[in-house]
Amino acid sequence: MYTASKAALATLVLALVATAAVRAQGVNGSISATATVQSPITVTGAQNLGFGNVFPGVAKTVAYSDATNSGQFSVTGQASTPVTYSFSLPTNLTSSGNNLPIGSWTGYLNTTNSTSGGSAITPSATPAGGTLSASGALYLFVGATVTPPVNLPAGSYTGTVTLTVSY
Amino acid sequence: MRGLRYAFALTATAVLPLAGQRPLTVTGIQSLTFGTLIPGIPTAVSRTDAGKSGRFDVGGPHDAQGQVTFTLPSVLTGPAGATLPLLFSGSDAGYSQSQNIGSQIGFDPRQPFLITFSGQGRGSVFLGGTAQPAPTQRAGSYTGTITLNLTAFP
Repeated sequence: MYTASKAALATLVLALVATAAVRAQGVNGSISATATVQSPITVTGAQNLGFGNVFPGVAKTVAYSDATNSGQFSVTGQASTPVTYSFSLPTNLTSSGNNLPIGSWTGYLNTTNSTSGGSAITPSATPAGGTLSASGALYLFVGATVTPPVNLPAGSYTGTVTLTVSY
Repeated sequence: MRGLRYAFALTATAVLPLAGQRPLTVTGIQSLTFGTLIPGIPTAVSRTDAGKSGRFDVGGPHDAQGQVTFTLPSVLTGPAGATLPLLFSGSDAGYSQSQNIGSQIGFDPRQPFLITFSGQGRGSVFLGGTAQPAPTQRAGSYTGTITLNLTAFP
């Protein structure tokens, strides 16, 4: 009887283990996770906006189409992708606390490094939109007018034009 | 001998409930889609985002319990083997017995979670997460595989 009980118990344990193995049924399924990463945007100041020598009381304008003196930026990023750009423009060039007013900003936007075949823009009216070329390029040109007061002290006057571009 | 008969009777009783029940199923319904990412800017997808969250439909014995566990990638793989880190946090997964994305119980997809199938033997598991592209992340398409494992407890 004792032997029979032990056998019964062993059988029960084995059977429960077997049952547990049967119960441990599992299934699975899968999905994908996906993402598309765009090329980072780079903005390069390619050429300074240069007015050269100016004279008190005599305004001077540099056109955006002036290949030598206009301010120029080049942008790279994801091909054929819309971007938003904006300019931060100075109202004065400065030298030792003296101000040389600058304004009447003009500009040009193009997908090639040229001031033809693109479109004129108004830098002071940004943010605005553009689209990178099929190779992921964009070029911006700026011009402006400085108006030296008649009593402007001599010196070297500078300011900073900043272009910000984002997707 | 009577003891032996008793043992066999118990065993038979324990196994019988498996017969005739709705089989366990896991079906991948919708990919977890992060869309277009900008290098350096993390992008999160909520488990309640109907268009972007991942979704699995599960099936099993009605009103029974089951355990779900995810096999989650730590990165997505892209062009030339480039990797894009993924992050899953405490409440990025959700279970809905009614299969309604608006009615979920949140859980940590990194941990096993006990679910109860509906009266019709169904349920849905939703998954969100965060993609973390580096500032220098290589442009291109990235993919990975997410697997949901389901074990039932009749």
